[in-house]
Amino acid sequence: MVGFALQDAFIELTMLPRMPAPIPIIETTNLTKRYGGQRALNDVTLSVFPGAIGLLGPNGAGKSTFMKCLLQLQPITSGSARLLGREVGSEGREIRKRVGYTPEQDCHIPGMVGCEYVTYCARLCGLPFQVARQRAHEMLDFVGMGQERYRKIDTYSTGMKQRLKLAQAIVHDPEIVFLDEPTNGLDPKGQVQILELVQSLWKQHGICVVLSSHLLHDVDQICEQIIIIARGRVLVHDSLQNLKARQRGAAEVVVGSRQGDLLEAFQRNQWKCELLPNGHVKVEHNADSLNPLLKLLQEIRLAPLEIIPSPNALEEMFIQALETSEDAV
Amino acid sequence: MKHDTTYKHWDGAHLGIWSRRAVIATNGLKSCLQVKWMRRVITLCWAAGMIQVAILFLLGQLLIADSIVVQWLGNLSPQLQAIGRALVGWLEQHPEISVRTTYNLLFFFFSSNLLTLTLIAIALAMPHLITSDLSSNAIIVYSSKAVGRFDYLLGKFGTLFCLMTLTWLGPVWVAWLFGNFLSTNWHFFWHSRAALGHTLLYVLGSMTILSVLALGVSAISTRAKATVSLWVALWLLGNAFVPIAIKTKPWLKFFSLSFNLQQFSLTVFKLKDDFQLATDNIPFFGEMLKGIRRQANSVMQTPEMGGAIWGLSIMLVVAVIIILRKVKPE
Repeated sequence: MVGFALQDAFIELTMLPRMPAPIPIIETTNLTKRYGGQRALNDVTLSVFPGAIGLLGPNGAGKSTFMKCLLQLQPITSGSARLLGREVGSEGREIRKRVGYTPEQDCHIPGMVGCEYVTYCARLCGLPFQVARQRAHEMLDFVGMGQERYRKIDTYSTGMKQRLKLAQAIVHDPEIVFLDEPTNGLDPKGQVQILELVQSLWKQHGICVVLSSHLLHDVDQICEQIIIIARGRVLVHDSLQNLKARQRGAAEVVVGSRQGDLLEAFQRNQWKCELLPNGHVKVEHNADSLNPLLKLLQEIRLAPLEIIPSPNALEEMFIQALETSEDAV
Repeated sequence: MKHDTTYKHWDGAHLGIWSRRAVIATNGLKSCLQVKWMRRVITLCWAAGMIQVAILFLLGQLLIADSIVVQWLGNLSPQLQAIGRALVGWLEQHPEISVRTTYNLLFFFFSSNLLTLTLIAIALAMPHLITSDLSSNAIIVYSSKAVGRFDYLLGKFGTLFCLMTLTWLGPVWVAWLFGNFLSTNWHFFWHSRAALGHTLLYVLGSMTILSVLALGVSAISTRAKATVSLWVALWLLGNAFVPIAIKTKPWLKFFSLSFNLQQFSLTVFKLKDDFQLATDNIPFFGEMLKGIRRQANSVMQTPEMGGAIWGLSIMLVVAVIIILRKVKPE
């Protein structure tokens, strides 16, 4: 009986679908891009695995140039890059068939109607007309565009244009989509909606996302991997979880009342603390875990509504990385 | 949240690169045809083509003794009657020469006139070529899709080629086809083959040259008015420039686009040879053609193709340099 069970287990194991070893979607080696005498990218060497990737950096850091070099929109000065396992430069057309891109600026064709534009973009990627038209409507539904799709793009608001850009970037069902500042010019509600859409691309549909932004909140909300670029160099490349772990020792405590008691207790413990304008109390407890904080709360018999560990980890890491890079210069 | 999260993946087969280039070409043509004046110019071109068909039909009718045309000629003055009879006699006795010469002359005349309308059509199409894509940043979208810069340019080239087929090649080719179908003798097809060959060579060659030049002009600026003005200047100022150049520095005339294309057409249609053939074989027309020769001096001149090739080559090189420098994602 035992023999048969082992045999069955072996058969089951061999019949399981093989899980592919994770292959980097982006690989660069000493990637350099110069504009005249200025280095926009300086010896960037990276290996990025599938996921939702946040590309962070101040304005002019080289984020957009990095994306454009990968998409072959800008020629690489030196070094090499591979995207989805293919060599950028020699296989550009094949790569772009599997890649979507939303540029930062408006890029629509004047005089075109929304759905016609997305259909046209799908056909540029090689989709047959009927399929292109059907997918264009599906993607416009996906990004939440209604009857306005039948209007000329010139009449669209900024929010509609951002949605349209997203629709044209995913209409051909890419494996990876590059989004350059997708929430620029949007009101808070529009920002939330676009970010939810972007988040769903990776989490629900398995499309890798590379989100370039200088808005830390956007990246914090949807990305799992973070790349911080400044002055054309990659300063940090790690998972968001690891980055937050590096910044342990701080927390934000949300309480309904008794903020004064809480502040007093923290001060007694010689922890730096402050009351934030939103009523939360920020504290630096300097410990790897939240246990000392929880113990203190128990002592003063205060039940918090929420404890947010490392609330500004990304921001702090970002500023720290920038300061380090400035010091190096 | 107002969006449908049912995203569907697509794993069908992609169409080939030529299909994607054709998509760019047809889209460009579609946007050109949305211009009201463009549709009018195209209508005018086809009207000219129909006039050519009518003339060829009347020519064919001269071979039928009881046709309306012959009867009408009989009712004219004695002088015109004599010319008509001579023409009929010429057609009957020397169809290989008469049909060839007449068709060649007619197709030269119509091709040259349709060139003017084609240049107007290109001026109207100018903003819909590269100019608008540069000004609206749509060039970035093209570059981020599965088409390269060369594919994009080939698509735009296709747009112009299709447009010129509508304004130029189409009308003259249809005129040849219908003119021969309506003729009284199937031999017209055979005897007019040279005229068709000359027309195709001249029109297709000029279409290629004009397409590249128009793309170059279209890429110069992101402002539609600027590119249209430049195109019109290249065409009209070039025309006005020739008489001045001939009097001062003759080689400067080769910087005129129209002059160079005229030399190309004279070289291709070889009208001088046709007239010589007709003069040698038909004494009556020989006398008449001598008069034409004096009057139509420009038609009968020896074409200066060498200089025209240089002039056109320089223009094409400049256009290509402009295209390569300007047509970039950013």
